[in-house]
Amino acid sequence: MSRQANRGTESKKMSSELFTLTYGALVTQLCKDYENDEDVNKQLDKMGYNIGVRLIEDFLARSNVGRCHDFRETADVIAKVAFKMYLGITPSITNWSPAGDEFSLILENNPLVDFVELPDNHSSLIYSNLLCGVLRGALEMVQMAVEAKFVQDTLKGDGVTEIRMRFIRRIEDNLPAGEE
Amino acid sequence: MAVCIAVIAKENYPLYIRSAPTENELKFHYMVHTSLDVVDEKISAMGKALVDQRELYLGLLYPTEDYKVYGYVTNSKVKFVMVVDSSNTALRDNEIRSMFRKLHNSYTDVMCNPFYNPGDRIQSRAFDNMVMSMMVQVC
Repeated sequence: MSRQANRGTESKKMSSELFTLTYGALVTQLCKDYENDEDVNKQLDKMGYNIGVRLIEDFLARSNVGRCHDFRETADVIAKVAFKMYLGITPSITNWSPAGDEFSLILENNPLVDFVELPDNHSSLIYSNLLCGVLRGALEMVQMAVEAKFVQDTLKGDGVTEIRMRFIRRIEDNLPAGEE
Repeated sequence: MAVCIAVIAKENYPLYIRSAPTENELKFHYMVHTSLDVVDEKISAMGKALVDQRELYLGLLYPTEDYKVYGYVTNSKVKFVMVVDSSNTALRDNEIRSMFRKLHNSYTDVMCNPFYNPGDRIQSRAFDNMVMSMMVQVC
């Protein structure tokens, strides 16, 4: 009960170094446990998915946002409310496709990669792939099937980090087809 | 500015060493190696006082004819050694101090990189660039 009580809309402060190092430890451990980077990417996505399907409940409870009427509104809520709440950053939304079913989230600084330098032997590792999983999992719980993937990454020498989101379809039945 | 910068692990093996004139690298390696004795001496001589003041900068370790060797030791006993040209009189103690602080910050970032295993040689590009920038600055 006490946990419920302190769950307000304001976010709690936490050491960003601890957060970054924890995520770093997680990824490097995965790199040790799996042979190739593709498996690590897959695993990160899966873990993110599992976080996302839980996190959406917390998000809806805390943020008081209503139902979104179109994908643009969803994009706004993700960038301005969700990212702000959980990572303390506000990515910008650009590159809408003409049909309005694809957009890019541009992260100018990604708190997950603060100290990270990718070694040469992990060139195909998508370090922050967890985020894609979270987005996919969370949106699936609100009847939206999306695809999220990194198209630019500061770790790979790009100027910014870009996550491309693509709307696939509405999930009609109320029981989401999850993996778990 | 500096002609040689080295990072030495707690157990006195080099984590990183780079010198600007590459043709005479070995000389600098010897110089850094020799300086480690002075570092040890300084630490044990005024170890208590240093710990109390949280003073990490060891000052001038020893001068040679052409160079001056400065030292800095972190609380985890990692040593930074810097060799500078003694003809460069513009370099004051304060500048050396701030260069060491910069080096220390950069080293901390390297340590925080999850892909770096403590005790390995430092191969970080960011660290490399930082060291390079300290070597070319106003020669």
